[in-house]
Amino acid sequence: MPSGTTSSDLFENLRLELRRGCLALAVLSQLRSERYGYTLRKALAEAGMEIDESTLYPLLRRLESQGLLSSEWREEDKRNKRFYRLSPEGKAILKQLVAEWQRINASLEGIL
Amino acid sequence: MDLLDRYLEAVKFWLPKAQRRDIIAELNEDLRSQIEEKESQLGRKLEGKEVEAILKRCGSPLAVATRYLPQQYLIGPTLFPLYRFVMVVVLAGCIVPRVLIWLGFLLASPAHSGYLHMENLWSTIIFFGFFTTLAFAIFERSGVNVAGVVDFNPQKLPPIRHPNRISRSSSLIEIAAMLIFAGWFISLFWPRPTLHLYGVQVTVTPVWTMLFAGIMTVTLVNLAVACVNLAHPFWTRRRLTIHLFSDAAGGLLFYLFLRSQVVLALAIPGVEPAKAAVLTRFINSWFATLVPYTVAVLLAIVAVDVYRIVRLGRSSLTPVVGMQAGGMKCV
Repeated sequence: MPSGTTSSDLFENLRLELRRGCLALAVLSQLRSERYGYTLRKALAEAGMEIDESTLYPLLRRLESQGLLSSEWREEDKRNKRFYRLSPEGKAILKQLVAEWQRINASLEGIL
Repeated sequence: MDLLDRYLEAVKFWLPKAQRRDIIAELNEDLRSQIEEKESQLGRKLEGKEVEAILKRCGSPLAVATRYLPQQYLIGPTLFPLYRFVMVVVLAGCIVPRVLIWLGFLLASPAHSGYLHMENLWSTIIFFGFFTTLAFAIFERSGVNVAGVVDFNPQKLPPIRHPNRISRSSSLIEIAAMLIFAGWFISLFWPRPTLHLYGVQVTVTPVWTMLFAGIMTVTLVNLAVACVNLAHPFWTRRRLTIHLFSDAAGGLLFYLFLRSQVVLALAIPGVEPAKAAVLTRFINSWFATLVPYTVAVLLAIVAVDVYRIVRLGRSSLTPVVGMQAGGMKCV
């Protein structure tokens, strides 16, 4: 173990690394139906996948710039909110990612 | 909401202009929704400390803004190990000779040790450090195939070389060089009161006999070591120790040669004796000025020899990849 790194630090780093790849999949899956950032965060948190705002919004922008999401600003409850949903390309990619996730999960089940 | 506005303003400062409005509007909406939800749970307005806690959890303005920015670096992770290696070599090249020369002056001529301005060292380090970094930043952006990083070819990998192996060619070159040197040195510098060097008569002090014997002894020892190296091409502790002592003795003899004002007089055809005497004094004083530099070189040579002995001790404990056990014959 590198000096100055405790086992809890090490676990935290590995946990974050493991989680990072799953976040995009979780976000894409939640955007099959249209949501804005705050409700998306709440939906993910209720499903056990907490994500803070400074991680979610940059991720949403990246996914949108990659063409996987589309967004629009709309007024709701007298406030401007940005609503996101999957683009047609996002739907196709999500399908492939879900299949890949299931394959990895099945492999890990066997290994673990 | 003053605190929230100040927070958003601070985040905005670090964001790229084109995206500022959009990002801040979205972040503002999220943070206000969090505050409102908390207020509806508590049934009252949030206090300053409670808003502060929400903002603290969100992160510092710079950290939040950084997550929206593309990853930027001067030298990327692929080139960085090479950059670090080159930087260490460059900085060692700047520092080590300077320190050795300073040590040489300190040991040989303490009165003149202030002669070297160590403050110049900082400007040298900054100069070379800056241009090394600049070169690597250019490589990073231009995609130049530095050290095969971009277009890697396994066939071009260097062969495995045992660190203590002595190549036969270097032993042969050393033997030839020693023999040529010994022949040349004996024919020209055999001890006698007056040496005849290419038409110039050089009268030397009696100390030359001792210096000659010492230089010849060191040459013969080195010749013997080179012959053994040719037959058994791996360094051993014994041979490295002999090498260390012969190098140290050679350096010491050269040091004594420079300090002993060995040239008594010169007789040059067509040159008046008075001018020859001036030239003699000049040669002796010039030899004396070389003393600190000789000490510096001697220290460097001894340091390299000691390092080789230490490395030999280490390598005997660590197996070398591709080298079979028992593949080394040592004497």
